[in-house]
Amino acid sequence: MTATTEPGATALVDKAQYGLAAFLGLAGGYVLYDASTLDRAFNDQPVQPYALPYVVGAALLVLGVLLAVATARGDRPEAEEGEDVDLSQGTDLRTIGLLAAVLVANLLLIDWLGWAITGALLFTGATYTLGSRTWVRNLAIGAALSVGTWYGFYVGLGLPIPAGILDGVL
Amino acid sequence: MDLLLDGFQTALTPENLLFALIGVLLGTAVGVLPGIGPAMALALLLPVTYSVGVDSAIIMFAGIYYGGMYGGSTTSILLNTPGESSSVITAIEGNKMAKSGRAAQALATAAIGSFVAGTIGTVLLWILVPRVADVVVTLGAPSYFAVMVLAFFAVTMVLGSSKLRGFISLFLGLAIALVGTSTGQARLTFGNAQLADGIDVVVVAVGIFAIGEALWVAAHLRRKPLEIIPVGQPWMSRADWKRSWKPWLRGTAFGFPFGALPAGGAEVPTFLSYATEQKLSKHPEEFGKGAIEGVAGPEAANNASAAGTLLPLLTLGLPTTATASIMLVAVQSYGIQPGPQLLDSEPKLVWGLLASLVIANALLLVINLPMAPLWARLLQIPRPQLYAGILFFATLGAYTANFAAFDLLLLVVLGLLGLAMRRFGLPVLPLIVGVILGPAMELQLTQALQISQGDVSTLWSEPVAVVVYAVMGLMLLAMAVGVVRGKKSPVPATTEDAEELVNR
Amino acid sequence: MSIVVAYSPDRFGQAALEHAAGLARKDRTRLVVVNATLGNSLVDDRFAHDADIAALQEELSAEGLEVVVRHDVVDDVADAVVAAADEEKAELIVVGIRHRTPVGKLLLGSVAQRIILDAHCPVLAVKPA
Repeated sequence: MTATTEPGATALVDKAQYGLAAFLGLAGGYVLYDASTLDRAFNDQPVQPYALPYVVGAALLVLGVLLAVATARGDRPEAEEGEDVDLSQGTDLRTIGLLAAVLVANLLLIDWLGWAITGALLFTGATYTLGSRTWVRNLAIGAALSVGTWYGFYVGLGLPIPAGILDGVL
Repeated sequence: MDLLLDGFQTALTPENLLFALIGVLLGTAVGVLPGIGPAMALALLLPVTYSVGVDSAIIMFAGIYYGGMYGGSTTSILLNTPGESSSVITAIEGNKMAKSGRAAQALATAAIGSFVAGTIGTVLLWILVPRVADVVVTLGAPSYFAVMVLAFFAVTMVLGSSKLRGFISLFLGLAIALVGTSTGQARLTFGNAQLADGIDVVVVAVGIFAIGEALWVAAHLRRKPLEIIPVGQPWMSRADWKRSWKPWLRGTAFGFPFGALPAGGAEVPTFLSYATEQKLSKHPEEFGKGAIEGVAGPEAANNASAAGTLLPLLTLGLPTTATASIMLVAVQSYGIQPGPQLLDSEPKLVWGLLASLVIANALLLVINLPMAPLWARLLQIPRPQLYAGILFFATLGAYTANFAAFDLLLLVVLGLLGLAMRRFGLPVLPLIVGVILGPAMELQLTQALQISQGDVSTLWSEPVAVVVYAVMGLMLLAMAVGVVRGKKSPVPATTEDAEELVNR
Repeated sequence: MSIVVAYSPDRFGQAALEHAAGLARKDRTRLVVVNATLGNSLVDDRFAHDADIAALQEELSAEGLEVVVRHDVVDDVADAVVAAADEEKAELIVVGIRHRTPVGKLLLGSVAQRIILDAHCPVLAVKPA
């Protein structure tokens, strides 16, 4: 994937957009299939459970086809700008992959270790992925944040976040 | 009037004053901070709705909404980085002023103009909300259904350059809204029992706005620091006041109606205001080089439109901006359905909010004028810690919705969807509006057809519904004509500058 | 031979630069000005603006000094200064030092301290008057 707003590159087709079109087609198809498995509810119910899914599924299919056609005709997306976004370089897939891995590790471990631990690891892992090398300091900040939010929710908002392995310690 | 006084009583309790103060401080901070906007901030703060009272929460959220705009203008002026399309003009004209040594005056006219516009806009809300609500409450299900379809339409068509992408986003949102249980049957749950209650809208909002945005920014980080213009205390001379007050008022007049229209947005009125000031100014040669009118007018328009968006939100339950849509999610999480009945059923909430807006505006002026240099220091927070912090609080917010690891899985999936949407230029607002309003629309349609016992013609049996469908027809026609005539955008000559700026 | 100065656009960097320029004038050696940033925040007020660096370079060159400026985005500021000294075979590094409380030092670290510990040549620490 590359950034798409460089001038002079407009003649090229954004191939990745076919992927999005295919995704829309698949999603639309699945919504339609799922709608076909639904039964009539009450006979006097004017809007049956499958009515809206048929509309939405069909619309997604049509939109997928339209997008594919538009892409073939040279339509290109305008990637989103922002204060802190530099679109002159390509998308850094490695950073995204690592950040996603950090998030997934958190969701796998949270039931066992509890938020107070996984939150700190999440923060440290994310800062490391984003290029910070002062990991001891980051771990300290992360631990302060996760333990702080745990108590903040428990005491301040009255919401006990499951403590996991630290049950009874916190 | 009594109701308004009651509202002030609600807003002036020490607790709610504190929440208003927290709101404006947080709002200004997120407005200044790069890569985090008011919509994301509200999404991250949704967990507070689990235990804070509804009036306090909504007062705080409104403070963040207004504060985000004050903070945003500070960075636009000092750094020339518009965070949103509505502050593009401020970035152009204000940064030119700052470069020629008039940063203090640019900040001052932006802050005072925002205060003037926000205050007038709030007073207009006091007048209009009860009147519009009186009309709206008489609408039947067919009309309400029509208005919702119009909102879908408007949000999709007005925003962004590509209508096709707007509709893609909208229908993805509607598909997400389908997940759950409908009249006893599992719908789109992929056979997963944990999806039987549908996807928590908090998880959707946090995933799309916070995780998606953080991943997108992380993938395109700037490497070189921007050159900030040093700033002292904002102030204005008598001549600056004289050149500013009319643009403030005119900007307000442009901004409020556009904000109040479904999907009018804040972008068009800032452009209109800029073009008007350029035409009326005695110093047209200064425009493009740092004219104070070119900051005063658009900033006022921006803030007035923010006030305007609260009119459809409070009377119809229709969000017209991303931030307003998250406020709607917050209100819904209290089991309150915003819509025609809101003012009748929750007068204390609505009037408390309307009163607190004036207080928030005054607080914002106080904390922004003397403290602008202090806020600018926030720009030095290192990115790894900033974005890691966003991911941390996003995860926490989604987890506390149900304390289920499964929600975190949904969060990652939706975050990747949000990332892909930014990559492919899909606007996020239609999606979130689809998720929020999809179920309500199905309900209204069901109600309308139940009353008529399945007779479809009931949908256009009310005059308001007919008018709404006519408006939609006109919009479609205008779009068709636009396509035939070649793609010309209705935005004035400044677009080129703006695009140039945005493309940097 | 040359003298390396770690520069930042504030009174600490200014003091270091003035002292280093004085030494360079006396010894007729090359002056290497290093101003680096991690580039990890939107704004870094210890990273000089391009225009200021150009002005500084012109001013010193006008005096007849041989000046090289390294104005870069780097992974570590202290490492960048030490590396510059190694590459330029510097006889001396000049740094400006600021007072920091022990807690501040723990939280923010100290570039000057890192340079002193890591450098392979003498380091001169200068305080602003």
